[in-house]
Amino acid sequence: MSHQESQKLDNVNPLETRVEDVIERGDNDFLDDNHDQDEHSESSQSHQAVDESDSSEDEVAPRNTIGDVPLEWYKDEKHIGYDIAGRKITKKERQDKLDSFLASADDSKNWRKIYDEYNDEEVELTKEEIKHIRRLLKGKAPHAEFDPYAPYVDWFKWDDAKHPLSNAPEPKRRFIPSKWESKKVVEYVRAIRKGLIKFDQPKEEPRFYRLWGDDSSSADRTKHLAYIPPPKPKLPGHEESYNPSLEYIPTQEEINSYQLMYEEDRPKFIPKKFTSFRSIPAYENAIKDSFERCLDLYLCPRVRKKRINIDPESLKPKLPSRKDLRPYPSTCYLEYRGHEGAVLSISVEPSGQWIASGSKDGTVRIWEVETGRCLRVWEIGEAVQLVAWNPLPELPVLAASVGADVLILNTGFGNEEEQKRVKELLHIGTPTSDDSDDMSSFLSWIQDEKYDCIRLRHYRVLGSVPSSLGTVSSIEWHRKGDYLSTLSKRLTQRFPFKLHGLPVSSVFHPTRSIFFVATKKNVRVYDLLKQKLIKKLETQLREVSSIAVHPAGDNLIVGSKEGKLCWFDMDLSSKPYKTLKCHPKDITKVAFHRSYPLFASCSDDCTACIFHGMVYADLNQNPLIVPLEILRGHTSYDGRGVMDCKFHPRQPWLFTAGADSSIKLYCH
Amino acid sequence: MEIERETNEGNSRRIQVRFITKLKSPYKVPTTAIAIPSDLSRLGLSSIVNKLLQAVDSELKTEPFDFLIDGELVRMSLEQFLLVKGISAEKILEIEYIRAVAPRKEEEPSPHDDWVSAVDGSSPRFILTGCYDSLGRIWKQAGWCTHILEGHSGAISSVRIINSEGAGSATVATASKDRTLRLWKFDAEDSTDHPARIRAFKILRGHNASVHSIAAKTSGDMICSGSWDCTINLWRTNDTDTNGEAVSIKKRKVNNKIEESQSEGEAVSTLVGHTQCVSSVVWPQHDTIYSASWDHSVRKWDVETGKDLSDIFCGKALNCIDIGGEGLALIAAGGSDPVLRIWDPRKPGTSAPVFQFSSHISWISACKWHNTSPLHLLSSSYDGKVMLWDLRTAWPVSIIDTHKDKVLCADWWKGDCVVSGGVDAQLRISSDISIQ
Repeated sequence: MSHQESQKLDNVNPLETRVEDVIERGDNDFLDDNHDQDEHSESSQSHQAVDESDSSEDEVAPRNTIGDVPLEWYKDEKHIGYDIAGRKITKKERQDKLDSFLASADDSKNWRKIYDEYNDEEVELTKEEIKHIRRLLKGKAPHAEFDPYAPYVDWFKWDDAKHPLSNAPEPKRRFIPSKWESKKVVEYVRAIRKGLIKFDQPKEEPRFYRLWGDDSSSADRTKHLAYIPPPKPKLPGHEESYNPSLEYIPTQEEINSYQLMYEEDRPKFIPKKFTSFRSIPAYENAIKDSFERCLDLYLCPRVRKKRINIDPESLKPKLPSRKDLRPYPSTCYLEYRGHEGAVLSISVEPSGQWIASGSKDGTVRIWEVETGRCLRVWEIGEAVQLVAWNPLPELPVLAASVGADVLILNTGFGNEEEQKRVKELLHIGTPTSDDSDDMSSFLSWIQDEKYDCIRLRHYRVLGSVPSSLGTVSSIEWHRKGDYLSTLSKRLTQRFPFKLHGLPVSSVFHPTRSIFFVATKKNVRVYDLLKQKLIKKLETQLREVSSIAVHPAGDNLIVGSKEGKLCWFDMDLSSKPYKTLKCHPKDITKVAFHRSYPLFASCSDDCTACIFHGMVYADLNQNPLIVPLEILRGHTSYDGRGVMDCKFHPRQPWLFTAGADSSIKLYCH
Repeated sequence: MEIERETNEGNSRRIQVRFITKLKSPYKVPTTAIAIPSDLSRLGLSSIVNKLLQAVDSELKTEPFDFLIDGELVRMSLEQFLLVKGISAEKILEIEYIRAVAPRKEEEPSPHDDWVSAVDGSSPRFILTGCYDSLGRIWKQAGWCTHILEGHSGAISSVRIINSEGAGSATVATASKDRTLRLWKFDAEDSTDHPARIRAFKILRGHNASVHSIAAKTSGDMICSGSWDCTINLWRTNDTDTNGEAVSIKKRKVNNKIEESQSEGEAVSTLVGHTQCVSSVVWPQHDTIYSASWDHSVRKWDVETGKDLSDIFCGKALNCIDIGGEGLALIAAGGSDPVLRIWDPRKPGTSAPVFQFSSHISWISACKWHNTSPLHLLSSSYDGKVMLWDLRTAWPVSIIDTHKDKVLCADWWKGDCVVSGGVDAQLRISSDISIQ
């Protein structure tokens, strides 16, 4: 038993080992004694122990004489601690080793004595205390009467419980390793191998760093908070030397010229020469500068300004090159001279061999396109506002508006049969029967003997007196050449539709029975068959001056008196698809080419602009509009520039009629 | 030599040259090599040659010469030319000289009443002109009008001499804007001071629009005409009505005098293919017709089948066309831009012009190859100039700018004259042009 004890006690705290030492020591010689008294002392021991403990508690008051200091501090002192009165408590005389050995040899109870260093006294352990210690060392309860294995008292009443709380058999999964867990593990392993899961790398400190590096560019600064580096000061140059070369020093004239400059433009620093470093004066603006710096800090905190560096070129829309969009009119080669007043209107014969022009000098002329030869002249005597050639090649008649009248002239072209037909058409003995009564009150057809033509006179019913009225503002032939639309300033009543505002220009749809009328602000689209308004296009312009329809009929251009040109896509919306500001002055006319993807505008600023206007068959693709060329050449006369422009029907050529009484042909 | 000494001061490089020529005896210089300054241009070279010639024959008049190096006309200073062409200046340079192609004499103008729209000088005996006053005129020489062709009701747009070989009589055709063509016959030899007015013996009707151009077959029995109605019509010219073409024979009474009968003809066939006005036709060979049109194309037609054999598209409306050059192979055409283009249809795979002459500044109204020389052609333009071109240089060899306004027509006459008419209502004859 003692052997086991000693083995068990190998690692106990020092105080315990001390006690144990004593016990060990005593063990050897006390073994017999212990065995002897084991039986007879059992009952009396308990009794004694109770007594002793009581007495010891009374006798020995717990006392601490040295306070909370290590004992070693008193090792070399004669005293150990202080009593309650503050007197030093002297240590007892220590027995030398020989005496103590002898004493232990004499006294059989000496093994039970322990030296208490704190109180500097020998304590003799009683038999009970030794027993307590022994039991503690064995790991038992110190008191012998404590029974750790007392019989279990089952306080729960099992009598009524017929069924167990759960009768389920233990599931199999409790006994096998989890499949899902292993799958998850495999998944993780794979992800790690693929590098999808990354572990935090140990942060590598750069071995070297730039001692004199720029603070502002350091990455960790810019990473977190918005760090605004201060503007870099300019490095000083030679001119800021105290003794600069002569070429840096401004002459007196230059210094005087600085005085004339604005304060912002003046150079901040004027180089000066000093003979020695010593003679440099103190910085004169020191106080002012620091004051301004304070003001800056106080009033103008630095703010991060979002500056976007965009190449302005990249903002331009991507347009095809002009070279790829050839042919288009660019150069003036031919001029048609002969008019003596501003040419107000031109019209090209459908085949493109002739053009007709009406001028302020009261003449209508027909020119040969190819040579510029004036073939025929009609002296009307009044300014000819508009001319329009019939679009039918076999009906070579020309409509010209003079004041409130429209003349239908026989040009004399065409072969004999055509001429015969034209003559029959232009001959009206009596008012034609197909004119209804109300129409004839607005219009009268009169045979004009002088020019062998028909004169249409516009009347307005004013009471019962027919009175001549304002000038005709537009003549437009229907594509079949059977109908003619004339817009007079007060013709609105004739129109089966109500117009808000004065009509400015009108045009027939190239293929369908649709009619476009432009008033000053809007363009109205009417269906001629159903006689109703289809659409109203809002130009958002101040004053519309002219309109033209794309030969496919779905697109419309509108020129305005403020120099703007609007492109309407009828399928898109009633707002302009594009608005081009192309002229500084009034646009007088806009025109579409019949076959080439070209359109033009001419203006009072003596120029005509050519645009590429491609309309795609694909409805999803918007029309492509590219400005191509500005045609110059006309001179301004009386404030007016180019009065009319028309495309050649078959060639990419443009005719322009100018107020300078010339007609020009621009070829590709 | 004097010139050498004069230019010696210029401190320029000298080149060893030898002048050679194919000219006849008075214009032959000794073929010894001489050293000349390298900064000489055509004028300097010409004066050297003149000096050399006059050293032999002091009576000889100064004559402008043109110079050829390796088959190319010298149009800059000799040094530049050699540099551009990469010719070594070390060895002796052979320079061939020819008489400069330039009119040396300007005849007095032949006045018309209106714009001269067409001229034909294919007959050495007379010049035929068409005019906007709807009259055609025959000019014996400058200022001497022998016949007036009367009958059209519209401006004449084109004229062509069909046959002038006959002993006395000549046949000509005129096309007019009144949609008809008329054939005329007159005696080219009779010469009166007062011009004789003659009427057409045949009226050719069939076009629906202005007739713009005529061309005659080389044999003279057929003509073709291009018109604004986009077609080319072929007509027979023989007055013997064997095929019964004559629709009507009318007796006309003018001034109580019965004139000769007029017959009317109809087109033999029509070549359809152009989409716009046929502005010019030529009939250089027996069975091919070339036509130029405002639809930007040049077409070659087979007369027998009436099919078009090949097209050349040039991108510009064309006004004139002529066939010439070596073996009648090159097509020269000009139109609505200042460039005279020459195509070589033999060149495979490309329709790009082989030559482009762009010294004019306005539309080109006429172009004509020289009758005998395959290298020379003329062009007239609305800028009022007639230019003579040599294929061996890109610059005009001569510019005739006697006209005051647009030149509408021009032609060679007698091989050494240029006749041209224009808006200033004058027929101008620039003569004495030496072309070998």
